[in-house]
Amino acid sequence: MITLDHITKTYGKDESAFNALNDISFSIEEGSTLAIIGKSGSGKSTLMHIMSGLDRPTRGKVVVSNIDVYKLKSRDIDNFRSEQISFIFQSFFVEANQTCYQNVMLPLEIAKVPMAKRKKLVMDALTAVELDNKVNKLASTLSGGQKQRLAIARAIVNKPKILFADEPTGNLDTSTGDKIIKLIFDLNKSLGTTIVLVTHDHDLARRCQTQIHLKDGRIDRTVGSKSVKPVKSGKAK
Amino acid sequence: MFLLDILRRSARSLLSAKARTILTAIAIAVGAFALTLTLGASNGARSYGDNLIKTNFDPTELIVSKDKSIFSNSDNSQPQVYNPSFGNITNGSGAVTQVQMLSNSDLARLSQTKGVSTVRPSISIALQYITRDGQRKYVATMEAYSAYKKPALLAGNIPTAIPQRSIILPEGFLQALGFSNAQSAIGQNVRVAVQKQVNQSSIISSLLSGNLDSLSKTSTQPTSTETVFKIIAVTQKPSSLIQPGTALYLYSSNADVVALNDYSTQGSANYHKYLTAYVQVKDGTNTTKLKATQARIIAEGYAAQSVIDTEKTLTQVINVLQGIVTVFGLIAVVASVFGVINTMYISVLQRTREIGLMKALGMHKKDVNKLFLFEAALIGFLGGFIGSMLGLITGTLLNPWISNKLSLGGAHLLQFNISQQVILILALMLIAIIAGLMPARKAAKLDPIEALRSE
Repeated sequence: MITLDHITKTYGKDESAFNALNDISFSIEEGSTLAIIGKSGSGKSTLMHIMSGLDRPTRGKVVVSNIDVYKLKSRDIDNFRSEQISFIFQSFFVEANQTCYQNVMLPLEIAKVPMAKRKKLVMDALTAVELDNKVNKLASTLSGGQKQRLAIARAIVNKPKILFADEPTGNLDTSTGDKIIKLIFDLNKSLGTTIVLVTHDHDLARRCQTQIHLKDGRIDRTVGSKSVKPVKSGKAK
Repeated sequence: MFLLDILRRSARSLLSAKARTILTAIAIAVGAFALTLTLGASNGARSYGDNLIKTNFDPTELIVSKDKSIFSNSDNSQPQVYNPSFGNITNGSGAVTQVQMLSNSDLARLSQTKGVSTVRPSISIALQYITRDGQRKYVATMEAYSAYKKPALLAGNIPTAIPQRSIILPEGFLQALGFSNAQSAIGQNVRVAVQKQVNQSSIISSLLSGNLDSLSKTSTQPTSTETVFKIIAVTQKPSSLIQPGTALYLYSSNADVVALNDYSTQGSANYHKYLTAYVQVKDGTNTTKLKATQARIIAEGYAAQSVIDTEKTLTQVINVLQGIVTVFGLIAVVASVFGVINTMYISVLQRTREIGLMKALGMHKKDVNKLFLFEAALIGFLGGFIGSMLGLITGTLLNPWISNKLSLGGAHLLQFNISQQVILILALMLIAIIAGLMPARKAAKLDPIEALRSE
């Protein structure tokens, strides 16, 4: 279960204070798919950062598998991310001057996965995204779609519990984008990875089991809320 | 992250920016090069000095003088009060100073000092000439032979007690004196002439007083004498490590040298006066005993210097010279530090998004910090290694030329020590790490969200 309890994120102080997120509460089952949609500035990226342990909320708590993430020490939050969280970004963020193998290896190095296990994990991930024939190619030689597939391989190599995808098709043509989305949803089914998709593409969002529409830092509405459960109201810590 | 993974990532990062890495490393290499040559030169100078002293001076002997200024720089800027009992010495530029000389009674007193084995005056006689029948005359210098020297011999042998009227001939005189080879010289006679020092004051007073009879007597006295010496050994020309100018010294017994010196100085102010004496210490290899005897001699009002003291003086000079050159090398290193800082800052800026991604994926601040410090250390290593290697190669190539120019014989001025070079490279790595501290800290403190947003 992933629970957000009265999450508020305020930037600035006193008169210049601005609430990017305002009292957001919901919970979803692990292994489900969630789309966070909204216009630019609605707070969807901030919500993703807080859910993934990247940005501490001003108030409220995030609980993942019974772990209150922000009660952890900074170092333990790093460990939580390296073991349970993964990301796919619109700009891919692959290291152009490194090979596909080296790119996919990064999360395993960060998580201190034993050396002996790494090669198989990397090859499995590259095979899953059909890049096993590009193992020793530099990332800079790949096409946009291949780069995003490489980013997906890097995201799934350490079998994360939650995969955050921030506008994953934003830089791709429709055909390549569709293939990438299919790949992401296939991972949800095959590995049971919880997918949190941040997008302003309503068609893409509709493919998720749950959609949370954000407007001005608040939940405007939820759709297909089978897995979204209301959180009992209470004072957030 | 495991250290090995961090190291590998750092190395890959450097390889991906080869030109920047090499240029930064070259800046460090310049300093490393200068320091390598400095270390090599000081090693060589120290080793040369040590060997020069060890092969020419007996470490169980003390050099004793009556005047402390012999072993230190005396003040020549003020006029010196004349003392008729003092002897005159002339420095290299011709300036005359007076120093207290050792007399025979001083030598006797030194002989009685506890711990002293033997005492012999240090005498170098400027011979009028050396020759043999049918050969030309050559100028030469003669000294008393010290068993400590143990020169390599071409022919003959040197007994423990050198018989009177025996001479040890250096190889350089063989051809000049008409010998076809060293063996043919053994047992042959040579004639050594010594000139009596002219008593200038009596001549001048005769001239000034107009007493020409007296002047006539003085001028008609024999002023030189020839003595026949038998060659007992011929020494090989030393390849290196001798006192400059001593390659053609003739050696004889102490008694003969003293006798020739007495003849030469009789009637002059320098008769039975010696600038220094060699004092052999009983069990002198024992440093404690050597120092104790030295202290006793000093307590009796003499100046005494051991080989260790001479080495120290020489080392001091070398250290000062080494310090001066090292400063230049360090200036180059300091300049390269700014290069490393600049390079590392550029690296952090260029890799902002990569740092953001790594931190988003859970990389600890400490590991990010290490990533950049390793990078700096690798640049330091590369620069240090390149500079050291260039220094070693240059030094090795230059050594024969320098040895020739400085007449060092077979000795090399630039002597390299591998452990010193390793320490130098490690020190440069440490300096590079220190230079990388600020950029690495900046990288470690980057907010992953902001870093991922950057373009």
